[in-house]
Amino acid sequence: MIIKHSSKHGSILLLGFMLFSCDPLVHEFNDIEEAIMYRANSITEAAAKDTIKVMTWNIRFGVARLSFFGDGCGDRVILKKSEVYEGLEGLAEKIKLENPDILLLQEVDVQSKKTGYIDQAQWLLDNTDLNYGAYASMWESQVILADGLGRVNTGNLVLSKWKLVNAERYQLALRGDQDGLTQYFYLRRNVIKAKVDMPGKPFYAVNTHLTAFATDDTKQKHIDGFKAILDGILAEGESFVAGGDLNEIPPNSSKLDYCLEDQCEGESYHSGGESEHKEGAYFAPEIMWLNPLYKTYKPAIPLNEYGAYETMHFTHSPDDKLTLDRKLDYLWTNTGWLGGKTHPEATSLSDHIPVSAKWVVK
Amino acid sequence: MRRIILMHIFLVGLYGQRLWSGTGTSILENGRNNIGLTSPFLMGVSGGEISINKFLLMPNVSYKYPITRFGEWQRTVRYQVAYPTMALRWFQSPLGMKLGEPDMFALISPEFHIPQMLSFYGELIGSTGSNEAGFVTVYGGIGIGLGGEKLDSRTSIDLPGFYPRFSIYHNGILIKAGGGYLRQFKERWSYTMDYDMFIMPGGEGRYAFEHLGFLIWTKSNRFRLLFGYKLIAGEYPYGSQAHLLPLVDVQFGW
Repeated sequence: MIIKHSSKHGSILLLGFMLFSCDPLVHEFNDIEEAIMYRANSITEAAAKDTIKVMTWNIRFGVARLSFFGDGCGDRVILKKSEVYEGLEGLAEKIKLENPDILLLQEVDVQSKKTGYIDQAQWLLDNTDLNYGAYASMWESQVILADGLGRVNTGNLVLSKWKLVNAERYQLALRGDQDGLTQYFYLRRNVIKAKVDMPGKPFYAVNTHLTAFATDDTKQKHIDGFKAILDGILAEGESFVAGGDLNEIPPNSSKLDYCLEDQCEGESYHSGGESEHKEGAYFAPEIMWLNPLYKTYKPAIPLNEYGAYETMHFTHSPDDKLTLDRKLDYLWTNTGWLGGKTHPEATSLSDHIPVSAKWVVK
Repeated sequence: MRRIILMHIFLVGLYGQRLWSGTGTSILENGRNNIGLTSPFLMGVSGGEISINKFLLMPNVSYKYPITRFGEWQRTVRYQVAYPTMALRWFQSPLGMKLGEPDMFALISPEFHIPQMLSFYGELIGSTGSNEAGFVTVYGGIGIGLGGEKLDSRTSIDLPGFYPRFSIYHNGILIKAGGGYLRQFKERWSYTMDYDMFIMPGGEGRYAFEHLGFLIWTKSNRFRLLFGYKLIAGEYPYGSQAHLLPLVDVQFGW
């Protein structure tokens, strides 16, 4: 008789789990979904303003410049909670110092094993002067069956001093250069759009993080998808602040090949004249892809400013290398900026630095 | 005659405990063996029963034997010893790949050292009932894990089934209790429902509940098919979640 089968069937639990658990193993997302809304534990109501400060920042999961394997040459996968809290505290300190009214964040973990399952969206709201948040996941899986990554939920976050309404997540194209299995478990890039309900003068905030490593035209599709959402806001006669990590360099960049800068120990590019490039490090074929955005909308850092002072506007360097060497992060609007600023003083806080600008509310 | 043979299979298999076993107070008769697709290899020996995990990287042996009855309750005691180190190391690189190659199917990051560990578990099982009314089982047990103080808590496998079973190495202790019901309702058909509770003192996930329902088709004393589901609700380091999993087992006896 009996009945206790519990210790006998562990070996098939994983298979069953993969196929039939209550929740899908991987969240695949609809083309358009409601964003996940957040609220700070303590709200400080903000009055309407004529000029607001907007900032974009890829915060690298709150792990600052630690040697993480997934986006560079590191050998760390699962970080200590204390390390993540230390990274988050550095971010929060900088955010409070800059005091943006709208903050567009990328690579925000809300429930990932690699960062101790800390809900970074809630933590940042509770530890800065921002009040409301809207989150769109770009990678949500109960388990990633590689490298011990485990559970993952990471994505884009809009933070605001004013209420966010009608927040939506727009799915971008999946990478076209992957096999079906890899694609199923891989990132699902998106654009998040939210209406900022500033009293009397509502406007849209749009945030995105585009593909870094696709070797086909996926990034072109992502840029087009991002621009299409901005075009839609424009067509409605509304105004927006938009931005994010576009993983693309400006069309007048002086350097197009970062294979040597990005190569890890044991890798070799071009030393013997090889033509193969490292994924995500060679921009020549795509150097004009941001032109439609530059031609249609106003960047916080105009092209002529970037061309004249290129090194001052670099926003990224890989891994623990503290010398910034390329610009990947942008702010855009359909109206105009009062002045844009790149923040190299934040180089140690993430592998990207913030870009901020003042925006005159129309 | 056929009916008599089938009754023999069930009576002996269900409560007399000689042909099919592996759980509860049932004990295989001396010299009889069972093995299943997803269940361990069971050996009836003189005075008891030995269970051996087929997953060789996770050596796990238990010995179960009857003790005195308590009123209407038949009672057995089961002791188990398990050595998880090889399995946990294998989970770090099942295909022998290195970090980022990618290290496919790795459930534990290879950055961590898995120390030598052992666990010991003992439980008391009691069963009562009749062939007409069905059989009820209750059990309770406690286990201790040794060597886990050097195991990084980040090596936990935060998945249903895995997390509560490996928690003993992270927490040093595991308490289990549960019960079940089994009844034959046709000549070849029976069903079983059971409930297991894992208490994990000191863990980030503190409890797990597992409920199992199985429909059992017994073709003969050599073969039976079990199919059903397992509902798992538990607390993990990230919070609480429930999973419903299908289960199938094919068991052979000789």
